[in-house]
Amino acid sequence: MFTVKQFEEDSCMLKYDAASEHSQCPWMPLQGTKIPLYWLGSQSALDNGACGRLSCTPTEEQSLLDSLFLAQWEDCAWKGFLRYDVTACELKVIDGRRKFVGQLNEGWNLNNFLKQNPFTFQCMKKHRELLLFAIASVEITNPEIIHSATVPDDASLVVVNANPVEYGHVFLVPHGLNSLSQLMDARALEMVTRVAVEINNCSFRVFYDYSSANHPYFQACYFANPLPVELMPVVTIHGRQKLEGLHIYEVKDYPVKAFLFIGNGNLKMLIEVVAQICSWLQDQKVPYSLLISDCGTKMYLFPQADRKQHLFVDREGNCGPLISLTWPKLNH
Amino acid sequence: MESQLALMDQSFNSRYSSLVREALDDLPDSFTITDPCISGHPIVFASREFLKISHYSKDEVIGRNARMFQGPETNRKSVMEIREAIREERTIQLSLLNYRKDGTPFWMLFHLSPVFSMEDGRVIHFVAVQLPIARKSKGFTSGFGRNDCNFGEAGSRLPEIVFGSCRKEVCMDSVKQSVPLWTRGSFQNLDNRGLEVEESCEASALEKQKAATSINNILSVLTHYSELAGKLVCGKSCNLSGTNSLGSSLIVSLGRIKQSFVLTDPQSPDMPIVYANDAFLKLTGYARHEVLGKNCRFLNGPDTDAKVICQIRESIQTEQACTVCILNYRKDESSFWNHLHISPVRNASGKIAFYVGVQIEEGCKNGWGRGLRPEMRQLGVVGAVKVAVRSLSMGAGPSKS
Repeated sequence: MFTVKQFEEDSCMLKYDAASEHSQCPWMPLQGTKIPLYWLGSQSALDNGACGRLSCTPTEEQSLLDSLFLAQWEDCAWKGFLRYDVTACELKVIDGRRKFVGQLNEGWNLNNFLKQNPFTFQCMKKHRELLLFAIASVEITNPEIIHSATVPDDASLVVVNANPVEYGHVFLVPHGLNSLSQLMDARALEMVTRVAVEINNCSFRVFYDYSSANHPYFQACYFANPLPVELMPVVTIHGRQKLEGLHIYEVKDYPVKAFLFIGNGNLKMLIEVVAQICSWLQDQKVPYSLLISDCGTKMYLFPQADRKQHLFVDREGNCGPLISLTWPKLNH
Repeated sequence: MESQLALMDQSFNSRYSSLVREALDDLPDSFTITDPCISGHPIVFASREFLKISHYSKDEVIGRNARMFQGPETNRKSVMEIREAIREERTIQLSLLNYRKDGTPFWMLFHLSPVFSMEDGRVIHFVAVQLPIARKSKGFTSGFGRNDCNFGEAGSRLPEIVFGSCRKEVCMDSVKQSVPLWTRGSFQNLDNRGLEVEESCEASALEKQKAATSINNILSVLTHYSELAGKLVCGKSCNLSGTNSLGSSLIVSLGRIKQSFVLTDPQSPDMPIVYANDAFLKLTGYARHEVLGKNCRFLNGPDTDAKVICQIRESIQTEQACTVCILNYRKDESSFWNHLHISPVRNASGKIAFYVGVQIEEGCKNGWGRGLRPEMRQLGVVGAVKVAVRSLSMGAGPSKS
């Protein structure tokens, strides 16, 4: 099967039959499971470290979480828990201006994906080996790894996707199994952003897809090249005069509507605003996708075109609820 | 930092004779030379004219990556285009906004060109010429970027300083030229358009020609002196014999990995080492030129278990990963137990491009203090290598396989 690598679109792999048992089955804690636990120290607070960077300028060495992540994934692949070796799938640049990338993946099968819902109790029980590691927020100075620990209730989980689309493809479950669904809220978004900041690897990206037909969850993977949308020119919609603050751009010349949010030294504000917008979209049952890249400092939002939404930004006040269902033409 | 500078000097002096510096200093152009084979892709040479226009001193520049000259208004897309050009080992010429030491920005025509070694076809240096240009476009840049200093009142706008004739079109409320400008101006109200596509500064045809000529002059000097050093270089990719040479951007990515590892080329006869990082050289006591091009068996010795060697060979033949414990020997003939993990690494075509071998010396405690067990750290290296090697060059067109 030939999939075009545009995660931001309604990627068919994210649809599955809502009649599957996930929503009925209560979550049970992973009793007795011991996996590596990464303690995210308080130094990883979002206001320092991540600000003041024009682009992702990773330090010269791999970060600890990056090493752990890649190691656990590679270990899982080596042990044969994945359905196929995704690195054996050929990548080709599709001729054209925007250089989309296609992947020839004979192992990927929609049915396999439909059957496997990572959040059912049965699935987790049967496939404990797919649980790579957990991340917990702890008040310590420097991050640490506990090699074998029981999973704290509100730890974020990293679960490998046995049908990977790219190297390192996982499901990210912020704040554990307590919530049935992974509807976007500021807390969840903050957690995955912290993970991206901590991994500090430009190849690492986080994805989120919300559609009323789907069960939404965060996914992540590694891909060394920039995604096509990241290379597109942008038009400033909102750039405040204050030095710190949110900047919002519309991506030009792209087949689907896309907006780019950059925190400019203030990731907390970025997270709050994006989470607010996403919540609003969810309330309105507007499907959308989110892409977090550049070590957590950039977020691309793709509201689905069929609802014909525009993002309207109030330039006077704060970046509050920004969506209007009316059709303000952006003044040019 | 002295050893860092010495490393820069050595990289340079060993490729060309040491006389090259004088010759380069004689050139009137502003240019820098960077070495993609050193971790971080640092600057190893900066011309006098470059230091003059950037206001930095030599010591502040040598050993640093060229991103230090970028700033808030630098066009991100241009930066990415440069990165791609580096990855694809080709020349690129574009307008770029850089920043001097005092924070003032200036537009320049940036022309980058790779320098290839004729021995193995690898890129050993990049030459970048900077030609300052006057800004002629009427639009304003509303580039995206970050701000890292709180300057001025919340309400005031501080537009960027621009060259030449555009100055009068900029709203100059309260700007003095000496003000360090790490701010960004939002020009939405300056004219009623409100929304601007980011514009760059176009260089004239004459300026582009001038930049190209500068590059050629520099390359001539380098070629001449490399001949003297016996290691000829050239400005074009000369090695098209199909060997699996490593792109510079891959080398830069691999430079982030501090654990000892090598990459070997299974498509070349006898599977030679094509990449060995500093940690490997330190572990084994060899110099880089002594290991590149050789099969790893030179690490084996009298007491190395033949069965283990067989096991490795079988794994490679079946294209499987394996972990073994093998007795290896350093250059000084001392031995050590090597917990070795070998894995095939595929590139974007899906085919095996390299084998990675990650070495852990038994009993060695370096670097494990960071909390990851040695075996996990090994696999972390494998993962990082796999991600890096899988990257593809984004040139349009079919893959090369």
